[in-house]
Amino acid sequence: MALIEVRNLKKYYQVYQKEPGLKGSIKSLFSRKYEEVKAVDDISFNIEEGELVGFIGPNGAGKTTVLKCLSGLLYPTSGFVSVLGFSPSQRKIDFLRQISLIMGQKSQLWWDLPPLETFKLNKEIYEVSNEEYQRNLRKLVNLLEVEDILKVQVRKLSLGQRMKCELIAALLYSPKVIFLDEPTIGLDVVMQKKIRDFIKEYNQRYKATIILTSHYMGDVKELCRRVIIIDKGKLVFDNQLSEITQKYSNHKLISVILTRKIDPKFLGSIAKIKEFNYPKLVYSVRRNEIPQITAKILEKLPVTDLNIEEPAIEDIIRGLFTGKNYV
Amino acid sequence: MSKYFQLAKITFEEYLAYRLNFILWRFRSLITFLTPFFFWLAIYGGQEELLGYQKTQMITYVVGVVFLRSIILASRSTDLAGQIRSGELTKIIIAPWEVFSYYFTRDVVDKVLNVFFAVLEMATVLLVFEFPLYFPKNLETYLYFFLIIVLAIFLYFFLSLIISLTGFWTEDVWATRWLFGIIFLEFFAGAFFPLDILPFWLQKIIYLTPFPYLVFYPLKIWLGQISGLMAIKAILICFGWLGFFYWLTRFLWQKGIKNYGAYGG
Repeated sequence: MALIEVRNLKKYYQVYQKEPGLKGSIKSLFSRKYEEVKAVDDISFNIEEGELVGFIGPNGAGKTTVLKCLSGLLYPTSGFVSVLGFSPSQRKIDFLRQISLIMGQKSQLWWDLPPLETFKLNKEIYEVSNEEYQRNLRKLVNLLEVEDILKVQVRKLSLGQRMKCELIAALLYSPKVIFLDEPTIGLDVVMQKKIRDFIKEYNQRYKATIILTSHYMGDVKELCRRVIIIDKGKLVFDNQLSEITQKYSNHKLISVILTRKIDPKFLGSIAKIKEFNYPKLVYSVRRNEIPQITAKILEKLPVTDLNIEEPAIEDIIRGLFTGKNYV
Repeated sequence: MSKYFQLAKITFEEYLAYRLNFILWRFRSLITFLTPFFFWLAIYGGQEELLGYQKTQMITYVVGVVFLRSIILASRSTDLAGQIRSGELTKIIIAPWEVFSYYFTRDVVDKVLNVFFAVLEMATVLLVFEFPLYFPKNLETYLYFFLIIVLAIFLYFFLSLIISLTGFWTEDVWATRWLFGIIFLEFFAGAFFPLDILPFWLQKIIYLTPFPYLVFYPLKIWLGQISGLMAIKAILICFGWLGFFYWLTRFLWQKGIKNYGAYGG
């Protein structure tokens, strides 16, 4: 049996619509119009132990809702969910002890106290032995470079500092399943890289299963071999990241460096221009036409360099969400 | 157990994190103590007995209310309503502990701090004004008093949680808390004055509710005005109410948590 099993998961919300302004507020006192929002609409997937899976989708696609169902915060409207053999929404103590949910926008640290206090509390809640606690804490603190802020009130920390402490608090007890919702939000590039490396290492060393959502394609590209794409509550893609290119793009990019300026009209007559910024020119070409077009370019244009590339995954996914295939 | 102990410690530290806040909080409770104290002293004037209460008994009642307020009515379970609304409840229900125990632990810390300072302040005031309090003569009374207080602590805890739990369905928890928490609860509990100075028909109604078991009955037991079989009967009824409200809290929790949207993030 897979470590995480989701079958036909649905989560619908009733939200009431309020017209703007005071008038709308008064009106809503007497009658409220409710509308059903399908946050998650019939999603199924399996995740095996030790996998690191990326969840991507535009804002409001339902990523976080799925994570909340998997971690037991929300009751599914219907469908079957099993994590580590437990039904998450029952929130059994043995289940909760083995999972961790890290939300970039929601702090689990105690606001008025230094982060070290939250760590100590988590040590007790998750029943971590003294040695393990010391060992994990030292390692995490060194890695994330937070020695000097452990005794500062949480509310006085910057967003990045806080995020690092969130990660420490959530990983101190070596959870088996980790749900990471936007873990690199608000971090600078250097720190993003560090956290990515850290997640990768953690995944390999502890065979931990990790599901990650992120707005930064960089996170997903670097960490996840497999991605699940969700849009408007529906699952639209679930496969190796590299397959996205295969499935959604029948085009490749030919980028060329020109040696002198050429009339753009003439350039356009050869193939479809994706981008032109002298001296760099990029064509978007159907896969089966690559040989002919390449030959034509070399024959008709003054070229010093030519490359054939797969389109960027970001572009493909953006195309996917805006409803048209990448061209 | 150690997780709740650590939670208690951290809660304690939270209180002490803001010194000014802490001092003002104590100052406020001192004022709420002094007001009824002087009020009743003024009403009695030179008289020794009024409304069936001797002066010593009434002062004991008022001082007793302050004490019980600090140990029974003080409650952190109020936080739950706000946490449902803001989504902060998420961080509590995602951790492997019993949610009710979480709130109860926070309550206990609140009570310990409260009692410590309340006793200190009361002792100071009583010494300054040299007013004798009524102390029961037989040991039995102390036992009944202790028993009913333990029950009342739990009874109030669940009542307060139930008010907070309405937050799962409505955002107007403050209105509910005002109506039930202040008007009904404190008034019917006898936290403003002894209930038996009210008209008889009103008393009869109030005695049918669980509220008098929070403050009024414990103090009547202390004053020796309810004793023996009557005291045992009060304790048993209180026990019954406790069972009912415990069940109701669990029931509402299980219904409500399904409604919880875990907003934010």
